[in-house]
Amino acid sequence: MKRCCVDRLACIELPSLPLQLLLQDQPEWKGFPCAVVDQDKPNGELLWVNEKARRLGILPGMRYGSALGLSSELRAAEMPAHRIEDAVQKLVEALQKFSPYIEPCAEEPGVFWIDASGLLHLYESLDVWGSAVRKALSAIGYVSIMSVGFTRFGTYAIAKASRYKKEGAVVFADPSQELAATRRVPLLRIGLTPKTLTLLNKLAVRTVEDFLKLPAAGIKRRFGDHAHRLHQLGTGDLWAPLQPAPPPDPHERVLDLDDEEKDSEKLLFLVKRLLDPLLLRLLSKGQALLEVTCVFEQEHGETLTELIRPAEPTLDAAMLMGLVRLRLESMKVHPGVTRLVMKALGVRATVEQLRLFVEKPKRDLKAANRAIARVRAAFGNDVVVRARLENGHLPEARFSYEAMTEVPEAQPRVVPRRSLVRYFKPTPLLLPPRPAREPDGWLVRGISHGPVSRSVGPYVLSGGWWRKEVERDYYFVELKSGSLCWVYYDKRRRRWFMQGKVA
Amino acid sequence: MYAPLWCKTNYSFLEGASHPEELVEEAHRLGLRSLAITDRDGLYGIVRAHVKAKELGIHLIIGAEVSVGEPINPKTQKETPCTKVILLAQNRAGYSELCKLLTVGRRRSHKGVSRVLWPEVCAHSEGVIALWVGEGDAKRSAGLPEMKAVFGDRLYAMLPRHLLAEEQDREAHVRAHAAMHRVPLVACNEVLYHTRARRPLQDVLTCIRHGTTLSTAGRVLRGNSEYDLKNPHLVNALFRDDEAALARTLEIAERCTFSMDEIRYRYPSERLPDGKTTTEWLRDLTMDGARKRYGGEIPDDTLAQLNKELDLIEYLDYGGYFLTMWDIVQTCHAKNILCQGRGSAANSAVCFCLGITAVDPVRMGLLFERFLSKERAEPPDIDLDIEHDRREEVIQHMYTKYGRNHAAMVANVIRYRSRSAIRDVGKALGLRETDLDRVTKLLSHYHDDDVAGVLEQSGMDVKASVYSQLSDLSTEILDFPRHLSIHPGGFLLGHEPVSTLVPIENATMENRTVIQWDKDDVEALGLFKVDLLGLGALSHLHRCFDLLSKHRGVELSSATVPDGDTKTYDMICRGDTVGVFQIESRAQMAMLPRLLPRTYYDIVIQVSIVRPGPITGGMVHPYLRRRSGEEEVDYPHECLIPVLKKTLGIPLFQEQVMKLAVVAADYTPGEADQLRRDMAAWRRSGRMEGHRERLIARMKAKGIAEEFAERVFKQICGFGEYGFPESHAASFALISYVGSYLKCHYPEVFTCGLLNSLPMGFYAASTLVEDAKRHRVEVRPIDIAMSEWDCTLEGRAIRMGARYVKGLQDIEWKRVADARSASRFVSVEDITIRAGINERSLVALAESGAFAPLQPSRRNALWESKGLAASPAVPMPVETESVPAFQLMSDAESIHWDYQRTGHSTHGHPLGPLRAQLRRQNLPDAKTLYGLRDGQYVHYAGLVICRQRPGTASGVTFMTLEDETGFVNVVLWKDTFEKNSIIAKTQSFLGVSGKLQVQDGVIHLVADKLWRPDTQLTPTIQSRDFH
Repeated sequence: MKRCCVDRLACIELPSLPLQLLLQDQPEWKGFPCAVVDQDKPNGELLWVNEKARRLGILPGMRYGSALGLSSELRAAEMPAHRIEDAVQKLVEALQKFSPYIEPCAEEPGVFWIDASGLLHLYESLDVWGSAVRKALSAIGYVSIMSVGFTRFGTYAIAKASRYKKEGAVVFADPSQELAATRRVPLLRIGLTPKTLTLLNKLAVRTVEDFLKLPAAGIKRRFGDHAHRLHQLGTGDLWAPLQPAPPPDPHERVLDLDDEEKDSEKLLFLVKRLLDPLLLRLLSKGQALLEVTCVFEQEHGETLTELIRPAEPTLDAAMLMGLVRLRLESMKVHPGVTRLVMKALGVRATVEQLRLFVEKPKRDLKAANRAIARVRAAFGNDVVVRARLENGHLPEARFSYEAMTEVPEAQPRVVPRRSLVRYFKPTPLLLPPRPAREPDGWLVRGISHGPVSRSVGPYVLSGGWWRKEVERDYYFVELKSGSLCWVYYDKRRRRWFMQGKVA
Repeated sequence: MYAPLWCKTNYSFLEGASHPEELVEEAHRLGLRSLAITDRDGLYGIVRAHVKAKELGIHLIIGAEVSVGEPINPKTQKETPCTKVILLAQNRAGYSELCKLLTVGRRRSHKGVSRVLWPEVCAHSEGVIALWVGEGDAKRSAGLPEMKAVFGDRLYAMLPRHLLAEEQDREAHVRAHAAMHRVPLVACNEVLYHTRARRPLQDVLTCIRHGTTLSTAGRVLRGNSEYDLKNPHLVNALFRDDEAALARTLEIAERCTFSMDEIRYRYPSERLPDGKTTTEWLRDLTMDGARKRYGGEIPDDTLAQLNKELDLIEYLDYGGYFLTMWDIVQTCHAKNILCQGRGSAANSAVCFCLGITAVDPVRMGLLFERFLSKERAEPPDIDLDIEHDRREEVIQHMYTKYGRNHAAMVANVIRYRSRSAIRDVGKALGLRETDLDRVTKLLSHYHDDDVAGVLEQSGMDVKASVYSQLSDLSTEILDFPRHLSIHPGGFLLGHEPVSTLVPIENATMENRTVIQWDKDDVEALGLFKVDLLGLGALSHLHRCFDLLSKHRGVELSSATVPDGDTKTYDMICRGDTVGVFQIESRAQMAMLPRLLPRTYYDIVIQVSIVRPGPITGGMVHPYLRRRSGEEEVDYPHECLIPVLKKTLGIPLFQEQVMKLAVVAADYTPGEADQLRRDMAAWRRSGRMEGHRERLIARMKAKGIAEEFAERVFKQICGFGEYGFPESHAASFALISYVGSYLKCHYPEVFTCGLLNSLPMGFYAASTLVEDAKRHRVEVRPIDIAMSEWDCTLEGRAIRMGARYVKGLQDIEWKRVADARSASRFVSVEDITIRAGINERSLVALAESGAFAPLQPSRRNALWESKGLAASPAVPMPVETESVPAFQLMSDAESIHWDYQRTGHSTHGHPLGPLRAQLRRQNLPDAKTLYGLRDGQYVHYAGLVICRQRPGTASGVTFMTLEDETGFVNVVLWKDTFEKNSIIAKTQSFLGVSGKLQVQDGVIHLVADKLWRPDTQLTPTIQSRDFH
């Protein structure tokens, strides 16, 4: 087996990572047999199962429905791919504290190769280093197994085949030792597909050694590329360099202040000191700034994090500083800032010249977007919203607000009949009780509008019994002043409310 | 006062939230005189509503809500928008038109949907009142002008008022168009439930129908709870401003005079020869048949019985039905298909002489009145068993002969049981499906358990509102119709087109059409049903007779099998009946050495006695004791002697139970018949409690012991689900005897025929093969050079067929067989090139050992097959590659491969190679166990071939374990099973420790402990598990 261009290579495995994530999400399931399923259906396939489930005969590959026949206590849920990806990303970041070069396995979530070269200068031994890595992972809630050797395939196979122990790693002193151990590894540990494994088992090929004796071309023809690749890796015919995950984004600048700074004007200048080199760096990469995160670390460890997003990717420092100024003006910086961190996110810049040929629309969307960006900068990112129609019965359930990041092209459509109600109160206004006898009338908008002179209704809306039952009788009421109101009687709360007004 | 004209029951599948009976009852309670049932595109619930309305004296208006719109593309099956029109039948002609229109809409659409066009609505307007809904675009008056031209004064425009704001606009639109076309308005609210309390259920049903959840359904749900059947005072208040519109509901009700009682059904007349009448032709055929049956001379008692039956058939005008059945039997004979009548038809001598049934009721002393009586005047019900793999031929013959207009299959309404209820309601509530599945796994297969209890048992917090809603709604939805399925074999035939009686729609199965009523509806209206049922045992016998003729030159049929064969009865008495129809189960085989059948009637009893009715009624042991002379035969009352004499004073048959109710509890024949109906649905209806008091009180009054009366009642309940009438048992016993005879005298023929008829019966192929080997039949393995698709006989040996290779399709095997017929194969490569079969088939054959003549090592054959299959499909030799040296296969491995790929092994039993090892552990084989004494504590290890947990056994689980020498029956008491449930459910090779129970040569091992045997190899076998 050939080495992987590094002197020392380690492989760390987090057994059944998706299941570990599931148990982090559902800690109350810990005492039960648990499984991750590919879909939330009775015929969903079990992908990973815990030890308790295994002891009950519940194995990966079974259908959830069949597995339930073995234990009615089985708990199962899906683990979305994005959740696994996020976890892998976080694990890479955690591992990067122990080595700059980390390669997550593309085919198996929870397997990582780490360049362990030169670490003996920092750690007493590789075993100690391994313990430190595993301890760090354990601190963030993961169980792991680690092997340190010389080859990608060897470390992987050993990590997969090793039994869990509390501390340390399996460390090989020389390549021959690793090779001998690798050959003894049962085949079912090395990530072959279940179909391939079944067939090889039928052929009485059960260890890595047996597998490596088979002809490579025969493997490729019968079992496909994946098995062939593993075979080649095992025999050393395939050499693959370590492909580490990129290090953290470098578009970051930090400024430590000797004295705390409370003055926003001074802070603005400090921001400028950091922003300019960030913009230069983006420019050198052919990028423009998409957003910038300003972290103001205060005394006593408190931090204020502000995300500034221009209307479009830009390198215009003046415009950006304008947005930062607006945000700083609305901030209360107390106690003072002791450390300032700025992280820029860039995107590839567009070709400005192309815009010259675009016909200018009547509505200046760019100007609108710039204005919105300023509003966002001044009042926060969630303040600019727009209404979206929803499919509910209750007036407040017929629309919702969503954040608006940019103004879209207007696409007006014909409304067959305009709604009678022009002023809608999302939070209905509590009205005085309607007197049983109304000598002076029912005043819903104060004395100035006079009492209710006429009402039309009721129009009944009820439902939501599965959550919180609602029962409302709606009326249109006409006041003596001639104005029309939309009111309802909430039967559950026994109160009258005003929901809106008619124009 | 008003008449609700737009009411949908729960037969508007997944929309209406009340049973038809509930709506009728509520209408009666509210003092309404008329009520229209208008289910969506169908008349599914109309018979039930009619029966209830008749009982309560309510005027039921028959109608339907019809979906009008562009037909749905059958390829995309994407639903198109539609509008609705309510059509009400004024008279019989209108009812026919409505049925025909619904048939048109249903037949052109896929299952569950219907669409008709406005011109079609207009074309079926005779005798129909139309209510125009006025949905859709406010500017358009969809269908109104066209309908006005045809319907004239039978057209009304509807004003629904459910207190929704949007109805204001719609009403204005309807009023405007109605005024424009001079159409009168009628007040008409949509009714979806009889009480507002059903609103949550209606919301849930809507979610199920649209595949959504309550929290995301939005406006798919109705906006309020105003869709109930309203009090007349409320409706008066609602339409205070338009009393004329409300008054028109009564006017319409008066105009609709049609009642379901007006349906006059005429059975289709058969073609009659020489100007004969139906009666004459039936009499001629019966007498001809009788002469053939009795060898030329009809015995006097039979002749008298035939005349009596024929007179009654003529009086009731049922001759045509018997001629149809005769015709079907003749068709089966002509096509060489075995068939045999079952059920109460076996009580009829006419059926026997016409060849419909095979049991002579006169010789058997069976009661004709059970089949047909003047007093009941119900249509006869003849169930015809047909070879299961050829039944479709007979069904298609029926369609061809009568045409799709005159013949359609009866529906089977699939209803919510607790499992489906929890699944669907839970999904609508937004619960995780995996959690719901965990709950449903705890529910019984057959009975509707206490849902709340099961939820608690599965670890759910029943106090949480979502789970209490799940519990309440799942209970409420029980017995609601979910969708329509097809009855296993029930046909409705009519002289007039069936579509004028009831709408017809497409079934899911290709080339099948189904009516909108189930068998109970058909029965309630007194219509004739022809039941064509598939029976595997008949296919088995047919194959045996063909093999006998081909290989032994023996021409045999069910009728010519020698009667009373001693050797056959000896074999039956030993319980050596693996594979024999009806007497092959573990319980039957254990009972045979105790009952010791020596005559045909003994088999009739044997077939009936191992049934839930007699078992739960505690009738089995008393009968056995009386039969063996251990207990004196006595009768609870002398009036019961004629009823119970044949069965030694113990009621074993359904007829006896009914007769008992008549004689001992003074039931009238009508009451007895009601008892039979209530028995059939006792778990669901709860109507048996009324019978209980009546039966027991009256029996006690007659001087019959209360204990006996209680026992009879228990048995009646048991019969309700799985009881056999004597006539039915007699028909089945005949097949059992013929099968036994073949097994006894021609075991290789019997097994070969059975292996080719699977899946059927109780046992898997491996057990049948092992049983054949124990009967000294040589069974040869699947062989690429020798095997056919089916198993074949090679002299007295059986050659296993390629049909047993899992993963091999018959079309692939045909390629192999065709290539082989040209010249024999010389190598695996040769097969690949010449037959061109796919990789899956090639691998399957290699693993099954079929390539043994070409490549003795199965591992090499497998390696080679995988390599060849992956080569380019060019008919030239592939490049040579070195073949790795694979491990040689041991006997145990060979057998294991056989079981994995073919489900059996001709090389040996999986425990054979392990026997020496097991012996060293002091584990005896099954044969040795039979020599041990009663009460001895033993340890045994065998393969589980069957697990059974009958509902009648109070939680006891039975297992049949097998080794190379035979079977061992294991009994697990409930607590033993619970303690060892994982191993009991999962372990194929099982160790059992317990006490032996030996009685009359039958042994049972009562398990005390289950364990995993410690052997080098762990053999596995597919067990057949039953509930």
